[in-house]
Amino acid sequence: MIARGVIPRITDRRGVRMRRIVALALLGVIVMAVMGAPWLARYGPRETAPDDQFQRPSADHLFGTDLLGRDVYSRVLYGGRHTLSLALLTAAITLLPGLGIGLVAGSAGGWIDRGLMAFMDALLAIPSLVTALALVALVGSGSAEIALAVGIAGVPAYARVTRAAVLAVRARPFIDSARAIGTRYPGLLQRYILPNAAAPLVAFAGVTLSWAILNSAALTFLGYGGDITSPDWGVMLADGRQAFRTAPWAAFAPGAALSLTVFAIHLLAGSFRAQPG
Amino acid sequence: MYVLRRLVTALAVAWLAISLAFVALRWAPGDAVDATMGRAGVPPEDLEARRDELGLNDPVWRQYGAYLGGIVRGEWGESLVSGQPVREMIAQSIGATAVLALSALTVAVVLGISLGIVAGVSSWAGLRYGAEALASLALSTPIYWTATLVIYLFTVVLDVLPGVGGRGVRYLILPACVLGFHTAGSIAQVTASSVRQAAGQDFVWTARAKGLPGLDVLDHILRVGLLPIVAVVALQFGFLLGGTVITEMIFVRQGLGRVLLTAVDTRDYPVIQGVVAFSALVYSLINALADVLYRLIDPRLEGAS
Repeated sequence: MIARGVIPRITDRRGVRMRRIVALALLGVIVMAVMGAPWLARYGPRETAPDDQFQRPSADHLFGTDLLGRDVYSRVLYGGRHTLSLALLTAAITLLPGLGIGLVAGSAGGWIDRGLMAFMDALLAIPSLVTALALVALVGSGSAEIALAVGIAGVPAYARVTRAAVLAVRARPFIDSARAIGTRYPGLLQRYILPNAAAPLVAFAGVTLSWAILNSAALTFLGYGGDITSPDWGVMLADGRQAFRTAPWAAFAPGAALSLTVFAIHLLAGSFRAQPG
Repeated sequence: MYVLRRLVTALAVAWLAISLAFVALRWAPGDAVDATMGRAGVPPEDLEARRDELGLNDPVWRQYGAYLGGIVRGEWGESLVSGQPVREMIAQSIGATAVLALSALTVAVVLGISLGIVAGVSSWAGLRYGAEALASLALSTPIYWTATLVIYLFTVVLDVLPGVGGRGVRYLILPACVLGFHTAGSIAQVTASSVRQAAGQDFVWTARAKGLPGLDVLDHILRVGLLPIVAVVALQFGFLLGGTVITEMIFVRQGLGRVLLTAVDTRDYPVIQGVVAFSALVYSLINALADVLYRLIDPRLEGAS
C-alpha cells in the first residue's frame, strides 16, 4: 500500500501542470459564466413568478425555481457576481494590510517585529469567524461591512505568512551578496526579497481568496448581508435550505457553484506551492 | 521551566486579545445604559446616575482596569438583553460546544490522517489522486452546505439518523461528522506532504531493504512526520470554535455559538466581548499545551528555543 520509493519528480511535475490546467479551465468557465450573466441568464435575478414556485429543473428552468418562482440558473449566474466581487473585496482588505505588516515586521526585525507580531498573535487567538461576527455587530450588516469584518479577521494569518517568507529569503546567502554590493532597503526588498518570496505569497493569496469566498458567503448565509433578496450564493443557500426537502435544487446549484469555485482556486494555489523555488 | 514560560506567553497573548475586545467595544454606538434603560424612555438624569453607578463616566484607564480585574475575578459583565451574568451564559453553553468540538476533532483526526497517508504514500496513483481530491473537496465545501446535504441524505432519503435539535449521541453524529469532515481537509493535506517528505529519507530505504513489512515502514514514516500533523491539529481548534457557530445554528443545538449569534443579532456587546475573551483564552492555552507536547514528541526541540 505504500509507494516503493520517492514519487518520481517527473510525474510530480506533470501532476502540477495537469492540476494547473484543470484549475484554470474550471476558473475560466466560472468567471466567463459569471461575467456573462446578463447574456446567459434567461430571467432577471429578482424576477419573481409566484405561479412557478418550486418548479423542477427543466429546459425552461435549467436548475429549477425557488420559493418565489425565481429562476435558480439565472440567480446563480448573477449571484456569482455578488459573491465573487464581495470575496475579492474581502481578500483585498486582508491581503494589502497583511502584506504590508508582514513585510515591515520581516524587514525591520527588533521591537517593531515583536510588537507587530504580538498584535497579530492576539488577533489570531480569536477564531476568525468569531472576530468577523463581533466586527459585524460593531459596524452593522451589509456587503461592505461583511468585507471589512471578514477581511480584518484574515489579516493576521497573511501577515504571519508574509513575515515568514521574508525571513526565509533573508537567511539565504545571496542576500548577503546583495548587501555586500551595496543594495539597501527598499531596493533589496523589491529586487531580491519579493521575487524570491513570491511563490508562497501567491499560493497563500489563493488560499486567502478561497477562505474569503467561504467566510463572506457564510455571513450572507447567516443573514448579515443587508439585502436578503439579493442574488448571492450564501443567501440562496440559506433560502434553499428551508425548502430542501421539497425542492433540493434551489440550494443545490448555489452550493455546487460555491464548492466548485473554491475547489478550483485551491487546486491552482496548490500547484503554485508545489512548484519548486 | 519551559512550560511556565510558555504559559506566561499564552496569558500575555490572551490579555492582548481581551484588551483588543475592550477597545473595540468602546467604539460601539451607545453604551449599556442607552441599550437597556434609554430604550425604555427613562429620563436623562436617571441615565447619568446609572452611568455613574456603573462607572461608565470614569476615565477610560480606570474602566479598563475594572474590566481586567473583573475578568480575573470571574465577573464578566451582564447581558444587556436578559441581565444574566455573561459568565453564567458561557458556563451553561460551553459543555455542549466542547462535546461537539471534541467529537468533530476526533472525526477530523481519524479521517484526515488516513486520507493524508493514502494521498501521501499510497503506491497506486489513482488512489493517491482520489484521496487528494477528497481532501480538497472537504476544504472547499463550507459547513453550511455539507450540513444541508447530509441532513437531506440521512434524514430524508435514508431515514436512519435524526436531523436537527435534540440531545444525545444520535443527534451528535451528523453535526460532528459535518464539522469534522471540513476540518479533516487541512489535516489530510498537511499529513500528505509531511509523510511524503519523510518517505523520501534514507532510513525508509534502509527499512525497505531489510524487508520490513509495509505497515512497519509506515510506522517509521509516521514517527518522523508526526510533528507538523500535531501542529495543524492544534491550529484547527481555533477553526473548530468558529465552526461550531454555524454547525450549532444549522443543527439547532445549544452552545456557545448560538449564544454568540443571538448576541450579535441583539447587539449584546458584553456577551460578545465575553465570548471573544473566552475563546482567546481557550485558544491560547490549547496552543501552549500543543507547544509543550511538541517537545515530548521530538526532544530535539529542547535545544532550539
